[in-house]
Formats: sequence, structure tokens, C-alpha cells
Amino acid sequence: MDTNGSWDEDEDEEFEFSRNYFLAKELASSAKKSKQKLTDIDVVDEQELREAASRIQPKHEDEIALLLDSYKTMYPEWLLALRCGFGLLMYGFGSKKTLIEDFASTALTEYSVVVINGYLQSINLKQAMITLAEVLWDQIKTKRRVSHRELPKNQYNSQSMEELLTFLDQAEIDDVDFFVCVVIHNIDGPGLRDSETQQYLARLAACARIRIVATIDHVNAPLFWDKNMAHTQFNWCWYHVPTFAPYKVEGMFYPMILAHGSASQTVKTATIVLLSLTRMPISDLYSVCRERFLVSSQVTLNSHLTEFKDHELVKIKKHSDGQDCLHIPLTAEALQKVVLEIN
Amino acid sequence: MAPSRCVTDSMPPSTATPEVEENDFRPFFVLHKASSRRKDRTPTAQTKLCKTNELSSSPQSVKKLGGSITEECDLHLFQQLQIEAFDTVWAKIESTIKDVLRDLNASVFNNIQQWVLECFNTTKLLGQHTIAEATRSFPVLNNTTPGQLFTAFVVTRNIEFVDDILTFEELGHFLKSHGCHVAKLSSLEFSLKNGIAGCLKALLREFVGCVIDSADISILASWYREQVNYNKPLVLIINDLGRCSGSVLTDFILMLSEWIIKVPIIFIFGVATTVDTPRNILPSHALERLCPSSFMLGTPAERMDAVVEAVLVKHCSMFSIGHKVAVFLRNYFINQDGTITSFIRALKVACLLHFSMEPLSLINGRALAGDQKEGKFAVSPETLLKYIDELPLYARNQIADHHTKRSTAEGLSELVTTQKLWSTAVLCLYEAGKYRRVRLLDLFCEALSQDLYLSRGPDYHVGNERYCGLSSTSDPCQQYSIMQSGGYIGQIARNVRDLPAGMLYQLIENWEKLTADISEIHDKLKVLQSSVRCEDGKSPRKSSKDNPKKYASRISVNTDKDARMTNSQAIAFLDYLVGNFLKPIEGMPFHEILCFKNVEKLQLVLIGDPRRRIQVDLLEFHKILRCGCCSKNGNALLPSRHDSSIMYSLAQEHGDLINLHDWFQSFRTIVLQNKNKRKQNSKQSPQPKKRKAINGSVDQNEASIQARFCKAVTELQITGLVRMPSKRRPDFAQRIAFGL
Repeated sequence: MDTNGSWDEDEDEEFEFSRNYFLAKELASSAKKSKQKLTDIDVVDEQELREAASRIQPKHEDEIALLLDSYKTMYPEWLLALRCGFGLLMYGFGSKKTLIEDFASTALTEYSVVVINGYLQSINLKQAMITLAEVLWDQIKTKRRVSHRELPKNQYNSQSMEELLTFLDQAEIDDVDFFVCVVIHNIDGPGLRDSETQQYLARLAACARIRIVATIDHVNAPLFWDKNMAHTQFNWCWYHVPTFAPYKVEGMFYPMILAHGSASQTVKTATIVLLSLTRMPISDLYSVCRERFLVSSQVTLNSHLTEFKDHELVKIKKHSDGQDCLHIPLTAEALQKVVLEIN
Repeated sequence: MAPSRCVTDSMPPSTATPEVEENDFRPFFVLHKASSRRKDRTPTAQTKLCKTNELSSSPQSVKKLGGSITEECDLHLFQQLQIEAFDTVWAKIESTIKDVLRDLNASVFNNIQQWVLECFNTTKLLGQHTIAEATRSFPVLNNTTPGQLFTAFVVTRNIEFVDDILTFEELGHFLKSHGCHVAKLSSLEFSLKNGIAGCLKALLREFVGCVIDSADISILASWYREQVNYNKPLVLIINDLGRCSGSVLTDFILMLSEWIIKVPIIFIFGVATTVDTPRNILPSHALERLCPSSFMLGTPAERMDAVVEAVLVKHCSMFSIGHKVAVFLRNYFINQDGTITSFIRALKVACLLHFSMEPLSLINGRALAGDQKEGKFAVSPETLLKYIDELPLYARNQIADHHTKRSTAEGLSELVTTQKLWSTAVLCLYEAGKYRRVRLLDLFCEALSQDLYLSRGPDYHVGNERYCGLSSTSDPCQQYSIMQSGGYIGQIARNVRDLPAGMLYQLIENWEKLTADISEIHDKLKVLQSSVRCEDGKSPRKSSKDNPKKYASRISVNTDKDARMTNSQAIAFLDYLVGNFLKPIEGMPFHEILCFKNVEKLQLVLIGDPRRRIQVDLLEFHKILRCGCCSKNGNALLPSRHDSSIMYSLAQEHGDLINLHDWFQSFRTIVLQNKNKRKQNSKQSPQPKKRKAINGSVDQNEASIQARFCKAVTELQITGLVRMPSKRRPDFAQRIAFGL
């Protein structure tokens, strides 16, 4: 039996770790602590720095592409794990965004896929769950080909997290191979990092009709999960897939260490935040419509909106502050065409 | 990421479109919906489809155009079969485990149910209230002392709670089936954030069964008053007391104790290791409202042995694991995790990987499905041959390469039979080992070891003859090499030598039960039994109904020598078992079909080690990318290396704090190293342009170096390996990881 061997190994590892830590500490105190200031670096103008950052020539592009390509042979194994009820957790240095979206677009075409960008600063998980419920409902409708039981689309807005989770967990469908796949870029990202969100994600992962493919980048990410979450709810299969691809979007929200002024950073982040807000609160719409003499009361506006809603020209979602928000489920190009044709 | 020439067409074409970039900044979006032309993926439909393909086209045309279609179809069918095999095998294992755990808990559950009934009868005596009292929305207080709540502390004897979630769920079902109202609340519900109102709402949800907005216990009281609900015990299970918020729980207990007459709730608390937990959580005035009892569940080690016995030794599913995998699982359980849950999960991952990596493993699933229908254990070569014929082409090809189908089927059938003998031998050893508290998991690992099997020597295989001629030897025990062998098997044998007669007899009785349907072993046992009978002069069958103690006292009259003789015969029996039947599966032909051995792969998929591996990615990145430029000089820091890799390697030279200025300067030096060298070399080197192309370097101006530095720091920050400067130390970044 090699029990003892393994013990020794563990102890050695632990010893090595603590030794390294104290050596590092010692190094810091004994060696002359460098007095050099960050300000001593002759930092170029911030504008120039940002321009240079956007023009950085990536290294080893060919090798990285080959590496990514080599992971394609793993796709059947990953798909099998998902279909057998496991979750996939990808880790390793480099952005794995392209990799898992490619996996989702090529290997998961038979399943609906919803992507959650965990690297963003704030994510309304409930809204994401509502979308998941809608997508699942669509999938069920297609499967059963029933229309008489169709419920209005916005039924999910009024539901609580518990009800949504129960819906996503519905086991009445016999086919175990019937699920919606959730791709989570950076499940350890700033927008998903708090423990309540992680608990909800774990419960989401445990739902019968949900499978999760997630990535982590932080070395301590597993500390988010207790044993129940990691082993029974997420039920991870770990895959080490370093890509060395640049963290383009993921790194956008981190301040550049040599950029002192924060003005342009806030402009940039503000633009991004504004970009991700594409919905209009109902109260704003009402005031705009009244200013333009389109409607005279909230009731008239609502009757118009009901018409639009029935024809799926607008969709209503609840904002996190409780207000109903409207958005048009069309792409920008489609909208432009519509405007042109009306005119 | 900029896709290169070789993979451009294989990457999704939409990566560069503005729409996708817009998606990058959406918190979430629908990537695509399930394709409407979802294929009919039932295997029968697939087989039909494939067969039509094969039939409709002539051999030539198959070669020309049908080849790829058939292949794709075959692979698709193959994965479908993989999933079916996994589902069949895992469903069998899972249900076996559930049954085993339920049986283990059965007696404790019965005790708890008895206790609940007693408590309920006692609370009924506390006071009967009038209709007028019952319909008021405040509690009945009929005497000065507050009511006491009956409370069971169920000691799980397990530090990790995860194993017991299922136990308490089962307990809930058990009590429900015995006519109790059961509510299960998790410790998360007793949090400060939820407060007492949240707990009450959850309690109402559990008992009354619908979502009620107002947190009013009088709703529960009036619900309980209803004819259909009344006269049944109300049980509240909180499965992990240790994680509840003390103050919320205190309020909850105080409130319920006031309502005890209208709502006679009985508590069941799960506590991890000691009954002291309530004292640590609850203040004395809450504790005195509880009337405690305690119950013990089995230890994790006991449960583990029961699971190993049912799943891995008795082979409920024909799926088995190799020696290295077994040792890995054992060490994982004993040294690191200690929970059955993760052991079961590890087994599940092993099962998945087995079906994923071994095409022929599909026979396993098929055989099991057939086995369940027919209710047999042994599988005939003919049946197996049929299963092999049903396999998709892809899997069948694996056989054609090496063996004929016939020999595979025969070998496999023999393997299954041998496995049955092996498991009986292990169970007999375990039965004997119970007197020394040998853990089945340990014995199981040892019984799988090919090395130990070989080291037991070739003379073992003539054990049969030796067994027949044993009775004439004067020193009966020492002649068996099982006595000399180390490990758990040796311990067991030595223990059997010293076993008192009563216990020995009991052991032989148990062996008889274990070997009942295995004639090869049972016959040998009969010889042993008959010799015991001769010495005793009485029929053991008759005496088996007597008290074993009585039997022991009777046998003690016999001489010491006779007793030792019996012991030595028992050892001879074990020796025979070990020599003839304890063949590890890995030494048998075709074992790959049933046995999962790839421990490295299992370890990788089961336990991610991001902390170490992300660092290794950075420090040894050229080994992963296998680029020509960076691996030339071993681990030397070349400018062609990835910027973050250079930076992280440089960070290793610093203490726990990294001076940003110094860090930048050393990075700058490394990056410019190449440029300077190139200047020097340009006179000598005939092909400076080629070098430039290899490194792909751009004009290395200051701004670019600074930007690259910033970007590398950000990347290290994303991995969590470096923490940003604080206000107190604006010139230093902090290292987080020390050593791999």
C-alpha cells in the first residue's frame, strides 16, 4: 500500500509551501527594500499608453491557434460529460471565451445556449434566469408542438427565484437529454462573486433542465464552493485548457497600473455600462410620448403597448429596481430597415 | 484572439462581427436556440437510419459518398449508446448505494419514529383546548411554565455535512410515510438576513404547502386544526444545526415554545460530531425550552465499507476499477475528503470516463440491461456475441483489429465468472477480518493489487493439492504462505489462527451463507465443516440454532490441540481462496472492457488544481505551446516569451511585495534584450530579416513597453496571483502565491 508514501508527499508539499512563504517574507525584510517609486518611471501620456495598449502585437499567434484547435478533439468528451449530467469547468491561463463559445456553437447546436458574461461588473441573475425560463419554455413548446397551453411571454417576470428554479428543474419531461446549456464566462468574475449569487448558481446548476459550462481564471476560485455546491450541485468535470489568448474583454475593467488619471477610464467604463443598458423604463417612454403629443394618458400608452406586446414588437422586463423596462427585440440593422420602410 | 491561417475557417465566422462584440458587454444573451431540426436520437431510429444508408447504396457508392455519412451517423449513434450505457450502469450503482445507505439507517430511523410517537402522545396530554381557544390568533398559555419542545439531536459523526443531506431527506420521507407532517428547513434559512419572518414563511411553505406572504404562525395553527391535518405529529427537521444563526434560532424556539399547545412541533436537529453544539449556539433560556434526546448515525467508514461491498466487491453493475484507481480513491477519502459523497462522485466520474474512453465498454451497459431483464448474473458467450454484433461499427472495429468476436465473447464471459469468484473470496476474507476491524476499502485495494498477487508466489497455484493433504502436518498453521504474507490478508489469517472456537464457528457459518451459490468454494467449505463436525461430534446445523455462547462453552471442553486444528483448517480454506480465486481483474484478458484503470485522467477531471496549474502555465508556458523560439534556452527568460509569463517569472525573484518600479525595469530590460542583441548581431548575421519575422516584433518604443507591462499586470491580477498596490503602499504590488 502506498498510503504512507502519499502522506509523506503531502507533508513535503505542505512544508515546501510554508518554506517558500517564509523565504519570501525573509527576502522582503532582509534585502534592502527597494525605495524606487512608481512615479520614477517616465510614464508616457495616458492617451498614448492606451493607443499603444490597443496596438499590442500578440505573440505566438500560430501556436495559440494550433493549441485551440487541438482542444477540438476534446469536444465529444465534453459533450458526453454534459449529456451525462456533469458540469464543465475550464481553467488554465489565457482567455477561454473564444474556446467555449466555439464549443457551444459547434457541438451544442441541438441545445439552446445562453451566455452569461461573468466578467462584467454587475449582472442581474434573476433576469438571466427569466431568459433561461423563456428559452426552456420555447424548447418545450417545440418539442410538444402544443400551442393551446401557451402562456404569455412575460409570465416569468412576476415569478420569484424559487418558482423559476422549480420551473427549470421540472422533471416531467422523460427525455434526460433535454436541457438548456448555460455558458458562464468567468463564474469567478466580479459580477458573480458574492456568496448569495454563487448559491443561486449552484442551485441553477442542480436543475434537471440546465447544464453549465463555466470558466475560471482566479487561482482561488474553488474557495467559493463548499462540498455540497462543488460535488453535488455543480458536479464539475475539470478541464485544464490554457489558451494564452489575451484577456481582451475580461481585462477591460481593470485600471492600467501606469495610468494615473482616471478620467478616460471612467468615460470608457461609463460607455460600456451605457452600452449594456438598452432598455427604456416605461415612465420615460410615457414622458417622451406625451411631449410629442402621441398619447395623452398612461392608459392610452398602455393600450398601444399591449398591442405591441401581443405582436412581440416590444418586450417587457422588470428592472432590478422594480420598474418595467421596454425593449425592442430586433437588431440595430433590422430597426434601421423598419424605419426606412415606414418613411 | 486573432485566428491564424490554419484555423480561420474552423472558428465561428461571426467572431469579428460587431454584433458579437456588442454581446461581450451584455450581462447575458442567447447564443442560439436549439436547432429546430433536432435529430431523432433514439438508438433504434439511428440504427434504422444507418441500416437504410448501408442497404440503399451499392458498395461502390458507399465508398464514394456514403462513407462519411455512415461514419458520422455511426459516431452519433455511438455517443448515444455511450450515454445509454452510462445511464444504465450508473442508475444501477446509484440505486444500489441508496438501498445500502437506507438499510444502514433503518434501525436509527425506526428508533426516531418511535420517539416521535412517544413525544406526540405526551404533548397531547399537555392540554386539550376549547374551540374558542383554538380559533384565537394567539397562543394558549395554560400554566405558568412555558412548554418544552421535544428535540432529537441526530449525531452524524461526520465533520463534513454534505453526506447527511441525503440521510435527512430519507428520514423525512420515512417519517412522512409513517403518518407525520414533516418540514425540512436548511441552515441557510436560519440566517440573520432571513430573520425570524423568513424562517416562519419557510415553515409555512413546508407544512401548508403554498407560498404565504404573511409570516403569521396562527395560519399554521388554524391549518393544523383542520380535521385532515389534526392528530398527526408535526416534525421539523433542521439538518445542520451548526450553521444556523444562534439569535434567529433562539427567537424561533422561544416563539414555538409559546405555541406548543396549538402547534405541537417536534424538532429534529442534525449535529456534526458532538451534542455540545446546541450549547455553543443557543443561550440557556432557549436551551431550557428544549427537551433533548440523542440518536447516533453510522460513521462514514461504516457507510463507506457498505458502499464498497455492494458496488465494487459484489459488482452490482459489472463495472469495476483497477488497483491504482482504488488506491487513489482510498487515499482521497482517508487523507483529504472523508465524505462518501465525493467518493461516489469520483466513482461516477470514473464511470463516465470509462464509457468515454473505452469503446468496447458499451457491452457492459448492454449486458447489464439484458441482465436486469433476465435476472441472471452469469453471462453466456452467445449472449455477449449478440451484444457485440449490436455495437456500432466504430466499436466493432476495435475488436476486429485484435481478436475475433468469438474469442472476445468467450473471454469476457469467463472474466465475469472469475470476477464472481474473486468477490466471494474477498467477502470471505472481509468476514474474517471483521474480528480485527479490517476496513473493506483497505482489503479491497489489496485484493486488486497485481503485484501482491504475483508476490504470493507460483506455489500458490498448487494450493488445491496442498489443501487436501493438510491434516497430517504437526504444525498446522505455519505451512501456509498466507500466514507469511504481509498486508491485511496476512493480518486476517494470523487473526483467524488465534480466534476462539465460538467465534470461529460463527465465522464458518457466515462463510457458508456467503458461498452458498458458488459451488467451487462451497464444496471446500463443506470439507472444513465436516472436519469441525468430526471434532465436535455433533451436527453444526443443529447447534447453529443455539446460542453461540452456549456453543462456545461446549466446545471449550475440547482439547486445545483440537481447537488449533480447526483454526488451521480455516486458514487452509482462506489460503485456498487466496491462491485460487483472488486473481486481480487487471491480470485477466479483456479486463479493459469492464475495468477503469486510468488514474491520471480521473485525477485531472475530478480534482482541478488551478492554483498550481495556472502558475505552471505561466512558468513553463513554452512546454505547452511548444514553440521553437522560447524553448531553445531551457527556462531562460527570452523576450519572445509571453509577457505575463516573463512578468510572473520575474515576480518569483521578489519577496511578498514587488516594487513596481523594479519590476518594470527588469521587464523592460528583458524585452529590449533582443533588440540590443539584434543590433550587435546585425553585422554578423546574414539573415536579420528572418529573425525579425520569427519574433514578430514591432517597433519597441517606450509606450508599447509600458502598455505591455500594464497588460501583463492586469492579466496576473485576473488570475489572482498578484494584488494591486494599496493606498498605504502605492509602489508595491503584493504576491499571493508562494511556490507551486
